[in-house]
Amino acid sequence: MASQKMKTPKDSDKYSVLLPTYNERENLPLIVWLLVKYFSESGNKYEIIIIDDGSPDGTQDIAEHLQKIYGSDIIMDTILSASLLLGTAYIHGMQHASGNFIIIMDADLSHHPKFIPQFIRKQKESGYDIVSGTRYSGIGGVYGWDLRRKLISRGANFITQVLLRPGTSDLTGSFRLYKKEVLQKLIEKCVSKGYVFQMEMIVRAKQLGYSVGEVPISFVDRVYGESKLGGNEIVSFLKGLMTLFATT
Amino acid sequence: MATWTDRAVGMGLVVFSILLFTYYSIWVIVLPFVNSDHAIHHYFLPREYSVILPVVAALVLVLFIGGFITVVLWKNKQKKKVN
Repeated sequence: MASQKMKTPKDSDKYSVLLPTYNERENLPLIVWLLVKYFSESGNKYEIIIIDDGSPDGTQDIAEHLQKIYGSDIIMDTILSASLLLGTAYIHGMQHASGNFIIIMDADLSHHPKFIPQFIRKQKESGYDIVSGTRYSGIGGVYGWDLRRKLISRGANFITQVLLRPGTSDLTGSFRLYKKEVLQKLIEKCVSKGYVFQMEMIVRAKQLGYSVGEVPISFVDRVYGESKLGGNEIVSFLKGLMTLFATT
Repeated sequence: MATWTDRAVGMGLVVFSILLFTYYSIWVIVLPFVNSDHAIHHYFLPREYSVILPVVAALVLVLFIGGFITVVLWKNKQKKKVN
């Protein structure tokens, strides 16, 4: 159960984890178990909000099942739109969130919940508005990328750093901790989708003067269901980058 | 640790960059102050190339990127037509 094991000075902090899912039937129990484990160990108050995009593989049934097992710590919610905009998922999730911090992450096990206590600690350190998991700094990194993917990623990051000067090392990462009001404000302002959305969040955050801390994370690119990075993705990335460059 | 091939490529890139940087720096910064009859000038191309080569390289890069984007967008159009 999600009861606190120790009284912390600021025990009014509660962390809502938003999990957008699509066909994560197999990964969902694992990620929920890991979240419960690491949160219980750290003694923080938390809740998990699963936002399913009408998965045809029965992810929703799994979510309901998990809700019965773990109790009202987990809220399930569903959006049945065919083309789920990430921003929409977050908005929807936040409406049901009772925490004052929001954690966003991938539900496909590429993000490991063991880093969440580190995010929390980092945030408390300096009162950051946002803590971003970085794959490009410190001991952060990626497992499962071939040379081509690594080169493309480094190249993209370099161009992004030059053009946008974000002040953070990983712009396209989606493993982050936000103060709830900060996330709300940013989502209102952001217009792009996919990973360009993640980039835009950080760039706008810098614009609005929010503080961003970083924690190195390991990103595990799953071999099954891994999205290939083709010419299309590269071109849409460049397009998004240019749009951001021109508009921010 | 990354695979040894990946690290070899990375090391190769770093070494190449350092060599290029050193060569170009000596070429542009040091040589103008060296007597024109000194032997070292034999190792460096005539000076006009120190401008021409980077310009050509930049041009090739821009053309490549433009070409890449064109091909991708064109392929997209083809796919849409089929659908």
